[in-house]
Amino acid sequence: MVAFSNGYLVDNLTEALKIRSEFEVTPYAGGTDLMVEAKDDAVYLFLNKIPELRRIYSDDEYIRIGAACTYTEIFENTLTPQILKDSIDYLAAPAIRNMGTAGGNICNASPKADTALIFYVADAKLRICSASGERILPIEDFYVGRGKTVLQRDELLVEILVPKFGLEHYYYKKVGARQALAISRVAFAGLFSTENGIITRFAMAFGSVADTILRFRDLEALFVGKTMTEAKSLRDDLIAKYDQAIVPIRGRVSADYRKSVCMNLLEDFLNQNGI
Amino acid sequence: MNDLIHFTLNGEKVTSDRSANERLLDVLREDFKLTGVKCGCKEGECGACSVLLDGVLANSCMVAMGSIEGSEVVTIEGYSETKRFQALSDAYAQTSAVQCGFCIPGMVLACEALLAKNPNPTDAEIRKGISGNLCRCTGYNAIVEAVKIAAREGKGLW
Amino acid sequence: MQSISKSIPKRDHFPKISGRAKYVDDLQIEGLLHGKILRSSVACAEINEILIPDLPNGYFVIDKNDVPGVNSVHVVDDDTPVFSDGTVNYVGEAILMVAGRDLKVVNQILKQIKVIYHEKQPVLDMMKSDTIFYQYGYTKGDWESAFRDADKIIEEDFQTGYQEHVYMEVQGMIGSYENGKAIIRGTMQCPYYVHTAVKRAMGFESDKVQVIQEEMGGAFGGKEDYPSILGCQVAVAAYKTGKPVKVILDRNEDITCSPKRHPAKMHYRAAIKNGEVTGIDADVVYDCGAFTTLSPVVLQRGLICATGVYDFKNLRVRGKAVKTNTVPNGAFRGFGGPQTFFSIEMFMDHLAKEIGLDSVRLKERMVVKQGDDSATSGKYHFHVPFPAMIEKLDQISGFRKKRETFRHQTGRYRSGIGISLVYHGCGFTGSGERDLIKGVVKVVKNTDDTVELLTAGTDMGQGLKTVFAKIASDTLGIPLEQVIVQNPDTDRVPNSGPTAASRSLMVVGKLLQRAAEKLKQDWKPGEYQEVVEKYVHPDFMIPWDLSKFQGDPYPDYSWSANAVEVKVDTLTATTEIVGAWGVYDVGTPIDMAIIIGQMQGGFLQGIGYGSMELLGVNEKGVIRNNSFSDYIIPTSMDVPNLVTEVVENTYDNGPFGGKGAGELPAVGGAPAFVEAMENALGVNLHHTPFSQEDAMKVLEALKK
Repeated sequence: MVAFSNGYLVDNLTEALKIRSEFEVTPYAGGTDLMVEAKDDAVYLFLNKIPELRRIYSDDEYIRIGAACTYTEIFENTLTPQILKDSIDYLAAPAIRNMGTAGGNICNASPKADTALIFYVADAKLRICSASGERILPIEDFYVGRGKTVLQRDELLVEILVPKFGLEHYYYKKVGARQALAISRVAFAGLFSTENGIITRFAMAFGSVADTILRFRDLEALFVGKTMTEAKSLRDDLIAKYDQAIVPIRGRVSADYRKSVCMNLLEDFLNQNGI
Repeated sequence: MNDLIHFTLNGEKVTSDRSANERLLDVLREDFKLTGVKCGCKEGECGACSVLLDGVLANSCMVAMGSIEGSEVVTIEGYSETKRFQALSDAYAQTSAVQCGFCIPGMVLACEALLAKNPNPTDAEIRKGISGNLCRCTGYNAIVEAVKIAAREGKGLW
Repeated sequence: MQSISKSIPKRDHFPKISGRAKYVDDLQIEGLLHGKILRSSVACAEINEILIPDLPNGYFVIDKNDVPGVNSVHVVDDDTPVFSDGTVNYVGEAILMVAGRDLKVVNQILKQIKVIYHEKQPVLDMMKSDTIFYQYGYTKGDWESAFRDADKIIEEDFQTGYQEHVYMEVQGMIGSYENGKAIIRGTMQCPYYVHTAVKRAMGFESDKVQVIQEEMGGAFGGKEDYPSILGCQVAVAAYKTGKPVKVILDRNEDITCSPKRHPAKMHYRAAIKNGEVTGIDADVVYDCGAFTTLSPVVLQRGLICATGVYDFKNLRVRGKAVKTNTVPNGAFRGFGGPQTFFSIEMFMDHLAKEIGLDSVRLKERMVVKQGDDSATSGKYHFHVPFPAMIEKLDQISGFRKKRETFRHQTGRYRSGIGISLVYHGCGFTGSGERDLIKGVVKVVKNTDDTVELLTAGTDMGQGLKTVFAKIASDTLGIPLEQVIVQNPDTDRVPNSGPTAASRSLMVVGKLLQRAAEKLKQDWKPGEYQEVVEKYVHPDFMIPWDLSKFQGDPYPDYSWSANAVEVKVDTLTATTEIVGAWGVYDVGTPIDMAIIIGQMQGGFLQGIGYGSMELLGVNEKGVIRNNSFSDYIIPTSMDVPNLVTEVVENTYDNGPFGGKGAGELPAVGGAPAFVEAMENALGVNLHHTPFSQEDAMKVLEALKK
């Protein structure tokens, strides 16, 4: 361990968790959000040299992405699903993609987080560790509100577990004010799969619309298990329900704009999938 | 007594006694007098402070000192001693791509990072490669053209 | 192409690209103090009290009481205070400065200072302002009859927003005080503006103020007046502390308190008779913000441009520049022209639809030609190459065919192409060159036969050093390396005037050429020689009369024809710029690559102005988006390859036939973009910037 003034640098997870349990520190995983509001008294725990946090590998069920992997590393890894690559491809710009990390994107807990949207729609889970143990929870349970998560002061996000299957048929659109260096104004991700004419997967997530990323599992459930014909007959009803459920907040753009884009993309997603 | 921060700067081993939470940008400019590293916004949105950090492009305003222990930092001052720089500089001169010049040191390093990965980039790839480096003077054409010239005339360098 | 147009590597190329060029924040100065300005957090108030904590040793507070001369900054008028005089008039107005060795400590002190305001209701809406700073108007022909006899009168309102310069280098200045002399160095367009302002604020004689321009990281008009304010502030601080004081603005601070392009609201009427536009009546309001700064001249240029490049026989133009409790607006590339040019170009599109013509047909029919009277009853003395420029524009963009193809589209993506025709009057507006500036240059030949060009002209990236050197080298017939051009220092250079108004090449360049010609005739090898050359007003000009607003405001004009093609995604209302083409007449290009670089950079600024560059002020007068993540300018991925071409139309009164170039390209981008959006969406549009959100509103309305 190296103890700088206002910072600790460690090269293994055990030591990182020990520091986390003993000191009041801010985990630093890339810095591209933290340094925007750099505080003079911040004490950082630097995570960028911890091998356990920088691996990408897969097991039977999941692609496991270390929380301190940079966007560029994730983008260039052959295990990474295409939908996640798409979200990284137009995230900020090269220098930010080289430093920023998936874990940082998640823990910063912004509803605008580009990769978090994908983890949401993909039913990703988060592996969270502390010196005394670990827990795995669905990403939706991680967020409490804008900038707020359930991460305890002695815990670190270690890995993101992305399900390996069912991500092939996707729809992704980020709407920003420009083509690069853009903070999303609305982002939409959808997954759709069928087996023998039956819808097996139907998921939609909306970013930059409310205080957290939005996903409505009860509405998705209306389509899962249905035939395409049944789904078509339910289409108008589903759209009406989403129209009710999505209540955007006003930010740099109006709530009306956000709502129009969400509904347009949702309909396009249905159209693209023949519903 | 706190530990010093050790890193390699333009090929030389150096140390810094700055706080780990300070910006690499400030340390480069103030302590090492490397004023080719420009500050445009301090929020990672303009690229004027770009450096190469362990070989990849980084906004030095977004890098806390503690994270660079053991790393290698190259600024325009170091890079301008290389043949690759010469090729880029000649190309920029041909297209008069340097106007006010404030974005240019960072822009040149973005071009280096791009060419190092992709020695024969298309127009679209060049535009993507420099998309984090704002330029208000040129409209970008002259820079894109310069990268193509450098790639062509500097063949074998990347 | 003439031989002088052949490009050479720019003089400042290597120092800048290698990172060795020193901008003001890069200078290492012994014993330097850092200054930071306490700025008003409210838009309109009297200051009841300022509570200042005990200051550590070596830390200072500098305010209005420390100004040794007059607490006012001379710009055109003198209403801007150096430091608040007890009232604040906009969010960001300078109240006082804290200076000391350690910037962190300075910032801490700044945070501890409490200002007790007695707040008043700010005026934020220019239409509700009852303080008119300036107003002018003019008529031509018999506009009253034209409207009385019209078959139809069309009326429309137009609106243009703020635009922030986004020079990559923020405003910054260092002041020092040595042996009774104030020395100011920094990033600035006009050293003698700063000199005059500092002299007055300090109460010093001319020889006790020295102003030095350091390398400049972009300006675009944004460093025309503001450096005078900052220059006075650092001069006062250095005088009080006895130490050099440096103030470099933060980006957020810079966006908050530095000048912008004036927002404008414009009401246009047109008289139509027998399918012809027989009269125009334009009523224009420019929002000055809290102080007058450069607004009178900005408004003048705006009114001169109000009827565009068209030959209207009958017209009335009126305008006023009003006060609001917002940041003072100033110069920005185009200088009042882009606002009214936007309106007249859009209005012409709409009038063409009324008449049943394609807008380009109407524009072509009405465009001015050599010998025509100008709007202000002056004359277009020289060839106007629009017919050839429009043909060239069609060749490179294919706009005529595309316009037809893009009508009545359905489907997810909608394409559109827009055309704008604009000019920029070269040089200072009205009689300014003759009566106010009276530019002087000096050319010095050293004993080693090197020749130094001494002017107050500053290189902000536009290539001034390079083109000045080329003019001298070609005229004298000596190698370029023998010509010296340095950043100006008022102790060494005469006052050749501000670097503004697209005047440097045409006016100052011409003076240099004449001086060089004289030197050449009298060339004595190995001897020291000096030639001083003074401005001579062109005798062909119809005298400008500001009280009547009549005459030739400019000796000549630069012209441009622009086309922008867009593709709108109807699902998201995001717009891709598919193509952008510009054809320009800037006289003879003194360096082709430099001119093309100017055209492309300006064009993109114009497109940004029309599309994404939205700056909003909230109900308290605070600029909502004062950061780079919120004030959005185009990245390299937001713009296609810009196709820009010049037509050569030499201007005999400019050096080697050159005339004004720098501002022209920023004028035509916005109307071309917004007209393209009209073409794509199939509705008339009236404001800029026309954002994604605006496009979505149109699309949603069309659904219903």
